[in-house]
Amino acid sequence: MNLHWSVVWDNAGALARGTELTVLLTVLTMAFAVPGGILLALMRLSRSRLLSGASASFTELFRNLPLLLVIYAAYYVLPLALGVAFSPFATALIALGCNVSAYNGETFRAGIASIRKGQSEAALALGMSPWQAMRVVVLPQAARRVLPVLASTWVSLFKDTSLVSVISVGELAYTAMLIRSRTFRVLEMLTAMAVIYWSLGYPQAKLVDWLNRRFGVSE
Amino acid sequence: MSLDFSPILQSWQFLLGGLGLTLGLAALTVLCSLVLGGAIGLARCYGPAWLRLPLVFYIDSMRSVPVLVVLVWTYFALPIVTGAVLPPFWAGLIALTAQIAAYMAEIVRAGVESVRPGQTRAALALGMSRAQAVRQVVLPQAVVRMLPAFGSILSIAIKDTAIASVIAVPEYLNRSQTLAGESFRPIEVYLTAMAVYFITLFPVTRTVDIAYARLAHLGRS
Amino acid sequence: MTRQNDEPDAHVVLAYRDVHKQFGDFVALAGVSMEVRKTEVVCLIGPSGSGKSTLLRCTNGLESIDGGEITLDGQVLPRHGRGMRAVRQRMGMVFQNFELFPHMTALANVASGPLTVLRLPRGEAEARASALLAKVGLADKAASYPSNLSGGQQQRVAIARALAMQPEVMLFDEPTSALDPETIGEVLNVMKALAEEGMTMLVVTHEMSFARRVADHVVVFERGTIIEQGPPAQIFDAPLVPRTRDFLSHLGWEG
Repeated sequence: MNLHWSVVWDNAGALARGTELTVLLTVLTMAFAVPGGILLALMRLSRSRLLSGASASFTELFRNLPLLLVIYAAYYVLPLALGVAFSPFATALIALGCNVSAYNGETFRAGIASIRKGQSEAALALGMSPWQAMRVVVLPQAARRVLPVLASTWVSLFKDTSLVSVISVGELAYTAMLIRSRTFRVLEMLTAMAVIYWSLGYPQAKLVDWLNRRFGVSE
Repeated sequence: MSLDFSPILQSWQFLLGGLGLTLGLAALTVLCSLVLGGAIGLARCYGPAWLRLPLVFYIDSMRSVPVLVVLVWTYFALPIVTGAVLPPFWAGLIALTAQIAAYMAEIVRAGVESVRPGQTRAALALGMSRAQAVRQVVLPQAVVRMLPAFGSILSIAIKDTAIASVIAVPEYLNRSQTLAGESFRPIEVYLTAMAVYFITLFPVTRTVDIAYARLAHLGRS
Repeated sequence: MTRQNDEPDAHVVLAYRDVHKQFGDFVALAGVSMEVRKTEVVCLIGPSGSGKSTLLRCTNGLESIDGGEITLDGQVLPRHGRGMRAVRQRMGMVFQNFELFPHMTALANVASGPLTVLRLPRGEAEARASALLAKVGLADKAASYPSNLSGGQQQRVAIARALAMQPEVMLFDEPTSALDPETIGEVLNVMKALAEEGMTMLVVTHEMSFARRVADHVVVFERGTIIEQGPPAQIFDAPLVPRTRDFLSHLGWEG
């Protein structure tokens, strides 16, 4: 076997830019999916059948589809259906955002539901409005339970961004595979790609474990 | 925009074959992960101390690297190392199992740890061997609590097989891509794919949700 | 003789007229009528599931009623929206499980109503809260979180929290049922002091000696109806209704 690891160093700049885009995708998706998830959870818990039904349908749909299919569907179907052309990056954000919002919605809903009814009753009995009871009493308590779950969703999202390489978003996986096909250094590039993901993902996974120990609720 | 589903109807056998492969690959993956992950999880709880560190390293590594990366590496790079060509299906099975077994190991460990240590002590006090205590006292309690998580593993496996389309495993998503290209009807093909995956996965996730609700009261013993 | 009999014209704070409440097929309240007068302590007693707590929860709108009416100072209680919130601000409620907010200190718990609902400036709300904590004997626990307080201390904070809204009437829903026996006394003492100050109180309780000593009026519930009401001397020493006697002797009450 004849290995040329220099190919990795020669393309370090491109790999770094790919890594940057992976991190950016993760951050931007989460920036959409946290408010998205809160919105879905509040809709789900609202008294309006329409709102809670819409939220449940959205959530169930995206929980029950492979993310890769959602990405393809967003790429091929959205522009034709809406008559608007999205960049691959925007398409990736939409697909990842919908998927993660659905999961976050469930996380927030479970977090809110885990706070016993007496807590919001006590707030109501003080004369708070339902929204004040939610904001002052329920959400701050739910946050502690939600945090570890959000963190592990974050790690999944970080890994899942690799899937948008199939629609030519130039993140880490796409960049590495592109260099591979240009240079034919298959083993070197794919191993480098795995190592970069590992070195970024490993500390995150450990952080999740720590958050679970710190805040985790034994079920 | 007018929809035309006739290319899909004409190719239903082609697509159905893909679905068969999706389910077959998912089932095999779950089976292999159960064996491998179960062994790793138990070894982590009861195995020798020197074995734990490498096992934790393996589990955490799989938690930090994307499935896609493992798949692509297994299919394209592993043969360079071993010198043996891997057909896509087997590469898919190996890579998916490597990933999902790590999750299974964590589930098994959490299940075992959820059984109070007093249970083991009581079994040992009765004169059982350590292995008997695990087999007859700990595992039966742990497995019940792991059941819903096994269901989630099944649904994760079905979803992850779609990623094997990237290495040309002719499962449902891969065949949808082929059909979309040939028929120039991507909207219809992908809408159909969404319906098919949803109908396949919904009963699984629903059952899991119900199982979690049912078993919630068991909690930690 | 009780104050109720002494002062027939005393101001009626709460009045219940033929109140009905059902949960599915279960009839929780089957036509309850009674009154609570100003500065009076009314204790609701009776077997569990007899409707006492439901009446309390209906009073401040945590449950809606299916029939009849409840009036506060002669005004029929609104059942929804802002009107109900305004009514709740005039009633303090103390829960069986305290329901202190675990993410807030004792002081912040007591200040939460004035801050959030009355929108008082923080300094003013906290001054009010400190004074109330001192009043329930917990000035030194202001910075403690509920998880670091005993059950009795938590319940005293909860009483202070309800008082912070300067309510006209206090509702107590089995305030000592979740407490260890040794901490029940401290909570009852706070309640007794409150009664002596002239606070109007409606108390659901299983503490018969408290009802006997502190109540002006005792109401006995069974299966969603009032089977007997009157001064404690009547209820505990010479009940008119045999079932009241059965209930009390079941609790081991020998008068």
